[in-house]
Amino acid sequence: MRGVLGGVLLILLWEGMARGFALPSYTLPAVSEILGSIWIQRASLISGGATTLLEAVVGYGLGTTIGIGLAVLITVLPWSRTALLPVVMAVNSVPVAAYSPLVLLWFGIGVSSKIVMVTLAVGFTVFLSALAGFDRVDRRSVDLLRSFGAGQAAVLWRLRLPAALPLIAAGMRVATVRSLIVAIVTEMLGANSGLGWIIYQAVVQIDFVQVWSAIFVASAISLAFFGLIGWIERRVIFWR
Amino acid sequence: MSASLSAPAMRATGVWRHTAPVLLGLGRLVLGLAIAAAVWEGAVLAFGIRPEYLPRLSAILSTIAATPEAYAAGFLRTLLETLLGFAAGVLVGVLNGVLFLRAPVLRDMLFPIFVVSQTIPVIAFGALVVLWFGNTLLAKAVIAFYLTFFPVTVNTLLGLQSVDPRQVALLRSFGANGRQILFRLLLPTALPQIFVALRLGSSLSLVGAIVGEWFGDTTGLGVILLQAMYTEQVTVMWAAILCAALLGTGFYALVSLAERWLVFWGAEQ
Repeated sequence: MRGVLGGVLLILLWEGMARGFALPSYTLPAVSEILGSIWIQRASLISGGATTLLEAVVGYGLGTTIGIGLAVLITVLPWSRTALLPVVMAVNSVPVAAYSPLVLLWFGIGVSSKIVMVTLAVGFTVFLSALAGFDRVDRRSVDLLRSFGAGQAAVLWRLRLPAALPLIAAGMRVATVRSLIVAIVTEMLGANSGLGWIIYQAVVQIDFVQVWSAIFVASAISLAFFGLIGWIERRVIFWR
Repeated sequence: MSASLSAPAMRATGVWRHTAPVLLGLGRLVLGLAIAAAVWEGAVLAFGIRPEYLPRLSAILSTIAATPEAYAAGFLRTLLETLLGFAAGVLVGVLNGVLFLRAPVLRDMLFPIFVVSQTIPVIAFGALVVLWFGNTLLAKAVIAFYLTFFPVTVNTLLGLQSVDPRQVALLRSFGANGRQILFRLLLPTALPQIFVALRLGSSLSLVGAIVGEWFGDTTGLGVILLQAMYTEQVTVMWAAILCAALLGTGFYALVSLAERWLVFWGAEQ
């Protein structure tokens, strides 16, 4: 309840400040002005949002799959850890955003470069949390299962995965927000559609109400995505 | 409690206990880097990878060596933005944490807003921040700050809330005032949690600084990256990426080192 109150107070304060001090829209447009602009621009915002969401969701799916797959591989084949982990860590030591220009050169300014970037960002986040989760299992529990004749696959499926799921889920939740941010950032550097592209164009045209409209839509999408993954998580990990 | 026992004597034994593994790790790091460099160079030569995709490491290093001033200037500029934003983010984050602990009403009202603010693609604000603060170092530091303060706030609050109330009661019964309880008990107990956020914040603030530079600037690693993209100079781009990796890893290592020194009773992992 207090949270809602806080949100309402913030919006009132914002509206009051923008109206009261008659702030020019390049400093801070009023909330009502932004909402009005969203309604007028709804067609382009919806199609831009759809492109961005598509890039984020496809990249998210790929990144999650690769991240978990790699973590499983390292867990099942311990010798691959010494070979793979340093490479992954080295690639990960660079801030993801720094790869954007390179990926844009490699994959062009279409949708594919954004998907690659999102896959990269989501993959690292999920991989690191999945690996931490798989490693968390007590050595003695593994030995116990083994002594009952369980194979690698059974240990993974019955012991490691349930133990790792809460951590994997936490990583996946963080990754939702990250996937949209990375998609938008890459779109801002070079694209021909998407919310980031709308933001970039609006900045060039010095239309800051438009910038705010795109930011509002982007946050609404990322909140919804975050909420959806959180809801699925509560459904799947019932034992927490 | 243990923080208040940080007598010089304990520090002295702590020095060796913590320096030795650091030196060992450093040696292993150098060895690992040498192997990685050899593998990189060898793989590019062996598989005939075209320089548009992955130039040889030696080519990248010689690019840096050709104009070291440009890279050094960019490195320092980005470092400064990162550090400013990080410092401000840590300060505000810890203050927020303490404030939220003292005033639960404020916490209930502001915390959901903070959470929502972090699901917003903050980087979309970049253009606005540059407009508000001008095309200055400050604008980039503000973006780095925005990305840093939230994890620090959350973890400070978590750490402060994990303090055993009986310990607070004990200190109070000895006549400790609020400030003494905060500095002798609450903050030291929260320190391991805070450092988890600091390590995260160290990489986030670097991202903020680099992306902030994309919205217009003349020096910085982000600028080098962007210009190299426009002129399609892949080698220069890799050179900037290497510099960013160096900056990121160095900063992260520094924060981890500070953690070992300050949280000498054992860090949370």
